[in-house]
Amino acid sequence: MAVTHDVPPQLDELVAAAHRIREAIESVIEGKSDVIRLTLTVLLAEGHLLIEDVPGVGKTMLAKALARSIDCPVRRVQFTPDLLPSDITGVSAYNQQTREFEFKPGPVFANIVVGDEINRASPKTQSALLECMEERQVTVDGVTYELDAPFMVIATQNPIEMEGTYPLPEAQRDRFTARVAMGYPEPTAELEMLDVHGGASPLDKLKPVATTSEVRALIEAVRGVYVSQAVKKYAIDLAVATRHSPDLRLGASPRSTLQLVRAARAHAALAGRDYVIPDDLQDLAVPVLAHRLLPSVEAQGQRRLPEQVVTDLVRRVPVPETRAS
Amino acid sequence: MRLSVSSAVAVFAAAILLYPLFSGGAWFWTSLGAVLAVLLAGLLGSRLSVPAWAVPLAGLAALWIFLTAVFASGEAWAAVVPTKGSVLELARLLATGWTDIQRFAAPVPANDGITLLTAGGVGLIAIAVDLLAARLRRAALAGLPLLALATVPATILPDPISWPAFIIAALGFTNLLIADGRERVGHWGRAVLVRRTRAAAGPSAGAAAPSSGDGPRERADTGGLRLSGKRIGFAAIALAVLLPAALPAMEPVSFFTFGVGGRGNGKGNTISIADPIANLRGQLDLPERRTVLTYTSSDDRPRYLRMYALDKFDGQQFGMTQPKGAPENRTDNGPLPPPPGLGSAAKVSNVVTNIHISDEIAELSFLPLPYPPRQIRVDGDWRADVDTLMVFSTQDEAAGLEYEVATSEPQPISEQLENLPEAREAVDPRYLRLPDNLPPEIARLAGSITADARSPYEAAVKIQQFFTKDGHFTYDLRTQGHGNSALKDFLLHSRVGFCEQFATSMAVLARLAGIPSRVAIGYTGGTKLGESWTVSTGDSHSWPELYFDGVGWLPFEPTPAGSLGQGSARVPEYTQPRPRSTSSEASTPTPGATGSEDDGALGPQNRRNPRELDREGLVATGGLPPDDSMPLAAKIGIGVAALLLFLLIPAGIRLVTRSRRVRTLGWKVAEPSDELTARVAVTAGHPSVAAAWAELDDVLLDHGMARGPSETPRALARRLAREYAFDADASAAITSIASAVERVLFARDPGRIGPMKQDLRTVRRALAATVPRGRRVRAVLLPPSTLRRLRLMGERLLDGFDLLETIRLRRAAQKGA
Repeated sequence: MAVTHDVPPQLDELVAAAHRIREAIESVIEGKSDVIRLTLTVLLAEGHLLIEDVPGVGKTMLAKALARSIDCPVRRVQFTPDLLPSDITGVSAYNQQTREFEFKPGPVFANIVVGDEINRASPKTQSALLECMEERQVTVDGVTYELDAPFMVIATQNPIEMEGTYPLPEAQRDRFTARVAMGYPEPTAELEMLDVHGGASPLDKLKPVATTSEVRALIEAVRGVYVSQAVKKYAIDLAVATRHSPDLRLGASPRSTLQLVRAARAHAALAGRDYVIPDDLQDLAVPVLAHRLLPSVEAQGQRRLPEQVVTDLVRRVPVPETRAS
Repeated sequence: MRLSVSSAVAVFAAAILLYPLFSGGAWFWTSLGAVLAVLLAGLLGSRLSVPAWAVPLAGLAALWIFLTAVFASGEAWAAVVPTKGSVLELARLLATGWTDIQRFAAPVPANDGITLLTAGGVGLIAIAVDLLAARLRRAALAGLPLLALATVPATILPDPISWPAFIIAALGFTNLLIADGRERVGHWGRAVLVRRTRAAAGPSAGAAAPSSGDGPRERADTGGLRLSGKRIGFAAIALAVLLPAALPAMEPVSFFTFGVGGRGNGKGNTISIADPIANLRGQLDLPERRTVLTYTSSDDRPRYLRMYALDKFDGQQFGMTQPKGAPENRTDNGPLPPPPGLGSAAKVSNVVTNIHISDEIAELSFLPLPYPPRQIRVDGDWRADVDTLMVFSTQDEAAGLEYEVATSEPQPISEQLENLPEAREAVDPRYLRLPDNLPPEIARLAGSITADARSPYEAAVKIQQFFTKDGHFTYDLRTQGHGNSALKDFLLHSRVGFCEQFATSMAVLARLAGIPSRVAIGYTGGTKLGESWTVSTGDSHSWPELYFDGVGWLPFEPTPAGSLGQGSARVPEYTQPRPRSTSSEASTPTPGATGSEDDGALGPQNRRNPRELDREGLVATGGLPPDDSMPLAAKIGIGVAALLLFLLIPAGIRLVTRSRRVRTLGWKVAEPSDELTARVAVTAGHPSVAAAWAELDDVLLDHGMARGPSETPRALARRLAREYAFDADASAAITSIASAVERVLFARDPGRIGPMKQDLRTVRRALAATVPRGRRVRAVLLPPSTLRRLRLMGERLLDGFDLLETIRLRRAAQKGA
């Protein structure tokens, strides 16, 4: 149910631009509006997205569609077991002519980096992403190179039960703002997909609908979304609840609280609100928190996934004092 | 270990209940010592792993040694080891203590003998409690010896046990139960914790109460268990103390015929009456007049107050047949049995008398009452004897009593009495019985007095007149002797005596004249002091009552009144000889036969009219005033009404809360006029929004669709609209409320807030329409929102108890550190 009040003017543009991007992506991927909305949220929250699902459900397609719809440099890295860190960050090569070492930027030097099947690379290589994801910079041979804004890593991975994969280390997972599962498409959406994708790839027809500077302005607008003390406290309550839950071995980090609030800002802005409400946090709690948590042995024995635990916690943790006293 | 200590504490706490029995505190410390001695023995027994059966023996030995050391150290070897001398000394003390207890009433002086008995008794109970709680692990059963200790003051003293002492004793026992529960659960392993956060936050609790007995080992944390145990215990004790104060006192109701006295009834309570005549004489002889009772009556006239009716004449004096008080004749069962012989034709005057008996009167178990009582309102188990209408009790005493009695006094006019029929079948023949050896002179005297009497009534008047006028009798208290010779002496020779002689003699003469009679003993009407009549010991009196069919028993007054006789005695009007010649009514209209015809003609009318009046009088005003005397149904009704009112308290609170909120809703509806006002409004909060939200919350709770703790305003609106199929209006209303609440709570600038009164009403109606009628009624009468608030208050109270708990633990921890 739409809330009947006016969208603040500074968000008008944002909502319109976001709508354009969404439509562009939806022209490629049918029936996944939730996932697309979350993807945009992560983009506006200056975060990184982890897309996890079985092969063939359109993970890479989503990443590429987003990258395409924004007119910005996009790099794609196919992670393989023999991929080396320098293959990602870049190398300093000796230039015969200038007789100097010259830095050859790797694929991370882009606005959107699509890491395909990130869990196929060795932990060493995966770790190469740590610095650039968190600090948005790359250090090679003692020289630090800043990355361009916006910078977003969209990684896809197969579930770790599949053969030949290295599970992401906790530190790495914690750097992804949200994890999303594509899920199989609805039968009707799948039918439509057969029709559309039968001929040429629709990706080729996708034209950029937003520019880098536009996206940067959008991010700036999202930063201005108001978060009341009550909502901040609610975010902390949620994180604390995961730390105390007997079903979890590892709870949510303070970084995750930060990212939760950031994502909630973006979520509110996409809904045309200039303030965050607890509903934003509730909607985002599972995608933002679940992938960082480790279930306890008991929970594993009961086949309770962290997603379920977080859902339960959201149902239990009281929303900020709604009795204004 | 813990159990032994708890047992000792419980015994000692229960022993505190004994304090009103003693004057002086020696028993207290000695009893404490005895309990400690038993505890020491118990602890040693546990430490040395003595078998359970041996520990009480050790306790006995310790108690013995302790008592020897305290009371007979001079005779004992090395002051503690019992010897033959010390045993004899203890036995002697016990004997003196025993006789002292028999001799003194509580509070008894705490001398050696009594202290020894007390300390020994408390010590024995400590052994029993220790055996049951710590050895046999039946802590609940250990309540029995403790109860035995607690019943001692309850049975001996008339006053109830003081509640602070009761609380202490109850806490002691509760502590014992909790200790037992913890000990038990301690063996299971991990206890189910009541409060996770508290249990986690309170490691000090575990540290403060370590088991010091068996070295370090893993112990279950029973803190949570103890917490709930304490809560239950506190609540139970609080209820036990507070509830009786709120309940009416209960009185025993006898389901069996539990007649008092009675010749054929061997069982039951018997009543012993001090010789009423000796009592009367004693009171009249008192050098100073003491107030016996005061009374006020509705017509403010003095009345004889009768206590005893003596019916048996044995030739020497009148005595009383044992009265019978059947349970159905209890005074609180409504009106008393009808007065014997009082026909419906008799004219009666209904009077209500309030009587207050002085506190100083001892052992008075008969109520002084004007005759004939119809109804009495009095506290206690008072019963009426059907024959004589004496009201007495076998359990209660009249001292200090205040009661109200309604009487229907016959108001016979002399003429009416003269025309009474002479049928006397209804009267018990004992009222006419005379001993065979009655001197014939007396019978002759009776014959001569009543020779020309035309009716029993006239005979009675003549007899009275004989005493007061014709016989030249003198009133004097200094009279001795009873019996036939005394009677003969009084009637024929000395003619000096006081009310007893006069009353007895007249009763005897009446019997000789064929009139049933008895002697009443009680008080005259006394003298008027201020607003009320005061009756003192000097007003003790005795008078004859004579029976006439149709009017029943009538008092007569043969004793001289005034300063030369019984001061406050009064001669009843109807016993005055009828002054025929001066009767104005008879002589005024027409003389002679006409007058008598008139009398005859008027007679039936006069008689009929009073009869009707009487009946009404008997029915309408015969009993106590109806506004005072409340029928059982009315009492139940009032009780039910009070209960209903009590049950409606939550509904009332709810209404008040709602109206307050609705008023708040009206406060602020406008848009803030400028930026500054808006800021102020935000910081000050929006009282109207807060009120609307709180009210919505309560409405939801009342209708059983409470908002979950994690449900946001928006989610709530969505759920209500979806689940209860709101129409467009209601949906818009709930959405508008939710949006306003959301903005006020979370937005930087809530913007324009519209009036919400109407929205709230729409939502409330929509919600009410979705629930069944019963639920709606409940929402109004017993609103869960208010109940929740009350429950929260209760929980806060319990939290207060918990707080006390932590304070104590902290102190213990500090002491340990």
